[in-house]
Amino acid sequence: MNFETIYKTYWQKVFRLCMGYANDTDAAKDLAQETFIKVWKQLPKFRNESSIGTWIFRIASNTCLRQIQKDKKMPKSELPLEIKDEILETNIEKDIQFLYHCISELQEVERIIISLELEDMNQKEIAEIVGLSEGNVRVKIHRIKEKLTQKFKKNGN
Amino acid sequence: METNIDLKKIWNTQKIETPNVEILYTKANKLKSRSLLKLLVVNISLLLTIIFIGFIWYYYQPELITTKIGILLTILAMLIFLLPFNKQFSLLTKNKTEPNSKECLQQLIKLKEIQVYQQTTMLSVYFILLSLGIGLYMFEYVSKMTITWGIITYAITIFWFAINWFYLRPKAITKQNAKLNTLLVEFEKLNNQMID
Repeated sequence: MNFETIYKTYWQKVFRLCMGYANDTDAAKDLAQETFIKVWKQLPKFRNESSIGTWIFRIASNTCLRQIQKDKKMPKSELPLEIKDEILETNIEKDIQFLYHCISELQEVERIIISLELEDMNQKEIAEIVGLSEGNVRVKIHRIKEKLTQKFKKNGN
Repeated sequence: METNIDLKKIWNTQKIETPNVEILYTKANKLKSRSLLKLLVVNISLLLTIIFIGFIWYYYQPELITTKIGILLTILAMLIFLLPFNKQFSLLTKNKTEPNSKECLQQLIKLKEIQVYQQTTMLSVYFILLSLGIGLYMFEYVSKMTITWGIITYAITIFWFAINWFYLRPKAITKQNAKLNTLLVEFEKLNNQMID
């Protein structure tokens, strides 16, 4: 698979994962870019030990987790100020912003797990990416979804 | 729970334009050449110093063994500084397949611990070797001076070493380790989320 095809296929997905982790468009763009630089560098060494998707999401997750090396501040759990005023335009935007907000209140590893789940990865793949057992992942996803659903209900959705 | 909120549907409403791939190529090449440049600058400048010291040996033909040992110790000190610095780069590029997040965090923690060790121990070894080397090297020339001048010269040199050892060295170590230790704490925290 050539790099540009991979790039076109996965950019959106990787960006959404980073967005789930960082809750900040600029930070997410940077993280996604960094991920693809690594993908580009490591692609010649990729030997199909896992599916290409699993491999790319591994790089993306690790890039997110390593981010504190560059910036000591952890991703903020509040909505960025400038977005707060703009987002109320449509319901769709309001929902997605609120979803990011709720995810950003989770622990870092949970953020990655739920983002992967929402990106339609199956639990076996998520377990491979994060390095936890499948059972553990299943329990975590269940708990996280419950938390998120409750928050959405409280918010009146 | 009566109603099930479709989180996936909401999640997928996030759309963003995919940036041009050329931008990525430019950035990647820039990063690559920058880290290569850093590696080259440090290595070349230390190499030049070693060549310069070697030249002194060749040109002035020191007679005493202490001078020669002094020169060797100084060069050794610089090599000791250079080795872990270069190794650090191979550690960063060695990774064959991308590890999963759990392994990645554990590797990062290990890497940081190695760096803490290197910065504490290696920096001290570097200072000791360099001081010993210069001290021995000077002996041949100082021995040709009068006793008073000899004592003054050594006193000043030892004073300078003392400042390095008791003031600059601990300060450098604390500063570097503080940064590494905060990172270590953060990585440990992430790693703990993996247990449970």
